Amino acid sequence: MSTSRRVRLCAGGLVAFVILAPLAWFSAAGAATHPIYQTGRFNAGTPNSSVVIRKHGVITSYGDSAITYNAPSSALAALGRALYLQNCATCHGVDANGVPPAGTTGAYPNLVGLGPATIDFWIESGRMPSSDPRSVQAMRRQPRLTHDQALAIAAWVNSLSPSYPYIPTVNVKDANVANGAALFALNCAACHTIEGDGDALARSTFAPSLRNIPATQVAEAIRTGPGNMPRFTGNLSDFQVADIVKYVTTEIQHPRNPGGFGLGGLGPVAEGFVGLLIGVGGLALIGFWVGERQ
Amino acid sequence: MSDALVTKRSRKQAKGRYGVIGKAVDELDERLGVAKGGRGFLDKIFPDHWSFMLGEIALYSFVILLATGVFLSFYYIPSSAIVTYHGSYLPLDGQSMTASFASTVNLSFAVRAGLLMRQMHHWAADIFIGSMVVHMARVFFTGAFRKPRELNWTVGVTLLTLAIVNGFLGYSLPDDLVSGTGIRIAYSIILSVPVVGTYLAFFIFGGNFPGTAVIPRFFILHVLIVPGIMLALVVAHMVLMVRQKHTQFPGEGKTESNVVGSPLFPVFLAKTTGFMLIVTGVTALLGAFAQINPIWQFGPYDAARISYAVQPDWYMGFLDGALRIFPSWSFHSFGHTIPFEVTIPAVIFPGLVFGLAYAWPAIERRVTKDNAMHNLLDRPSSRPKRTAAGAAVLAAMSMLFIASSTDVIANFFHVSLNTVLWSMRVLVLISPFVAYPIAYKIASEMNATRGAGRRKTVNVVTRTEEGEYVATPAPAYADDVAHDLAPTPVPDFIEVTPPEQPPSDGVRTIDR
Repeated sequence: MSTSRRVRLCAGGLVAFVILAPLAWFSAAGAATHPIYQTGRFNAGTPNSSVVIRKHGVITSYGDSAITYNAPSSALAALGRALYLQNCATCHGVDANGVPPAGTTGAYPNLVGLGPATIDFWIESGRMPSSDPRSVQAMRRQPRLTHDQALAIAAWVNSLSPSYPYIPTVNVKDANVANGAALFALNCAACHTIEGDGDALARSTFAPSLRNIPATQVAEAIRTGPGNMPRFTGNLSDFQVADIVKYVTTEIQHPRNPGGFGLGGLGPVAEGFVGLLIGVGGLALIGFWVGERQ
Repeated sequence: MSDALVTKRSRKQAKGRYGVIGKAVDELDERLGVAKGGRGFLDKIFPDHWSFMLGEIALYSFVILLATGVFLSFYYIPSSAIVTYHGSYLPLDGQSMTASFASTVNLSFAVRAGLLMRQMHHWAADIFIGSMVVHMARVFFTGAFRKPRELNWTVGVTLLTLAIVNGFLGYSLPDDLVSGTGIRIAYSIILSVPVVGTYLAFFIFGGNFPGTAVIPRFFILHVLIVPGIMLALVVAHMVLMVRQKHTQFPGEGKTESNVVGSPLFPVFLAKTTGFMLIVTGVTALLGAFAQINPIWQFGPYDAARISYAVQPDWYMGFLDGALRIFPSWSFHSFGHTIPFEVTIPAVIFPGLVFGLAYAWPAIERRVTKDNAMHNLLDRPSSRPKRTAAGAAVLAAMSMLFIASSTDVIANFFHVSLNTVLWSMRVLVLISPFVAYPIAYKIASEMNATRGAGRRKTVNVVTRTEEGEYVATPAPAYADDVAHDLAPTPVPDFIEVTPPEQPPSDGVRTIDR
C-alpha cells in the first residue's frame, strides 16, 4: 500500500512540476519593472528587438528588417515645447500630465511616458489638436501641424520621460501580403470590417475606415492602440505588423474589383439596393413600357 | 398532272399551306392528337396590362438561375476538406481554406466567364426574390388571390418561402468569412427552438457547428432538392394559371366571364420572348459591371475570425433586422435556457408573417363573407381596408429591413449606434399604425373622387369683354376617354357587374 502511495506521490509531483514550471517562467517574464529592461513576449516594438543603435548612451533607433523604430531628434525638443504650449497645453496642461491650467475643466490624457509613436499618430492623423475636445471620439481630418512639427512635439514629450515605442518605419517591400490578409481577418476585421471600411461601435464610438491611412500610421495604431483600439504588442511580431501594413496599404486601399464597380464596399446593403432598384425596378419599368397602361 | 409540269409553285402547293413545320405538326397530330388541345392553348388570352409582367421577371430570373447554376456546379466542389490555396489571387496564397472556398475563388479567377456566371447567378437570385415580392404585392393589392385562385396564392407563398431558403443556402456555399457567419447565425436560430432545438441543430449540421457535413448537405439541398420542388411548383403555378385563366382589370368589354387581351400565339409569345431576353440582358449587364459578393476580399471562413458590418442578402434582411433590434430577453430555469431574444424574432415572428400570408385569402373571405367567384380585379383604391392592411405590413417589414443595417446607418450619418437601434425599435412598432390610416385615407379619397388617378385636362382661360377671366376645362384626352373605366360606385367587397359592352376593334375576346 505504502509503495503505491509513494509512486502516486512522485507521479503527482512530476505532473505538478510539468504544469507549474512554465508558469514560473511566465511570472519571471512579467516581473520586470522598467519598460526599457523588460524583455519577453509583452514588449514587441521596444528595444528588445534585434538591432539597437545608441548615441551618447541613449537609444536612438532599434528594430529589425521588418520595422525600424526611430526616435525623433532630441535637438527638436526646444521647438517642440513652444509648439506644445501653443497647440496642446490648453487641455493636456503645461507639463503634459493631463492637468489643464486653472480655469479649464475636464480630465484629459496624461501624455508623459506614452512614447513618440503615440504623439506622432494623434497629430499626424489630424485628430490633435482636437476640433472638439468634448466629442466622444476624435475624427481623422487634415492635420493642422506638419510632419516636422509633430516630430518636434513628440521629441519634447519624450524628453520628459523617455519611453517606447519610437516612430516606426515599415519595410513593406519584403512583407507577405497573404500572411497579412490572414492576420487582418483574425485581429482587425472584428471592428474595422473585413473590407477595412470601419463601422459604428457602441454609443458614438466607431472604428475608422482604413482606406486612406499611410503605412506609418497603420503601424503606429497597431503598436500604440489609440482610443478604443487594443494595443497589439506581444501577439504580433514586427514581421507580422509589416505583413498587416502591407495588406492594408495594398489590398484594402486598392481593392481588386474584377467583377465591376465595387459598390462602395458596403456589401449586401448596397447590393440589395442595386438589385432592387436597378434590377427589379428597371425591369418593372421595361414591363411598364412593353405592357398596356390602362 | 404530268411530271413536266413540276414547277416552283406546284412544289410549294405539295408542301401544304404551312410548309415543313405544318407538315411536322400534322404528323404529330396524327399520332398524338395535339391539335385539339394545342389550338386552345395557343389561343390562351393574356391580358396586356403591364403589371402582369412582374411575375414574368420572376419566371425568367428562375430560368437564368437554373442555367447559370448548372455552369457553376461544374466547377464548385462541395467539400469542407482543408486545402492550401495556391492560385492567382496573391493575398490568399498559402492560406488554409475549405475546398468549397478555394473552388469558388478558382471559379471566379481561373475559369473563363466564371466570375460573370457567378455574379449573374447572384444578381438573378436578388432579382428573382425581389420580383416575386413585387408580383405578390400586385396580386394582393388587386385581389387576384380571391376565389377561385386561393390555391395558386398558396403555391406562390410556398415558392417565395423556398426561394428565400434556397437563396440563403446558396449564399452559404462559398464558405467565405461573411457567409460562414451567416451559417453560424442560422445554427443559433435552430438551437433557439424550445425543447427540440439542440436535436434539430445536430440533425441538420451532423453534429456541432461548424463540422464538415454542412457544406455538402447545403449543396445537395441547394442544387437538387429545393430547386426540384420549386420547379414542380412553378409548373403547378403556370398550369393553374392556364386552367383558371387570367384575371383582368375592369374596363371596356371586360367582364367576369371573359378575358380580354392578346392570344399566346403569336402576340404574347413574341412579347414575352423579348421580355425574357431583356431580363437576361439586364442580369448579364449587372453581372458584368456591378460586383457582387467579392469573396476573395472576405477570405475563408474560420470560426475564430469574424468581420463586423456583416449583413445577409436583402431578402433575409427583415430577419436580421428583427434579431438586431429585439431586446435581450431569455428564460433560464429548470436546467434549460430558452433564448427569447432569438426564438421570438427569428422563429416565431417569421412563422407568423408567412402564416399570415398563407391565411390571408381565408381571413378576407371570413371577414367580408364574400364567397363569389372573382375574375375581375380590384383597383387598390376600391378596397381601402385591404390596401391599408397591406401597406401596414409592408411598412413594418421595410422598417425591419432597414434595421438590418443599423451599423451602416450609424456610421454613414455619424449618429450613435444606440440611437439608431432605439429609433428602429420605435419605428418598427409604430410604422404599421402610421401606414394604415394614411393608406386608408388615400385609397378612400381616390375611390370617392371621380377621375382620380387619371390625367387632368387643362383649363382654357378666356378674357371676356368686361375684362373678367373665365376658366373652362378642355375636353378630356382622347386616350383617357376611350379607356374610361366603368364607374364603380359599389361599397366594399360587393361584386362588380358592369353592363355588357361589345369589345372594341382589334381586341380578341373568348368565352370561359
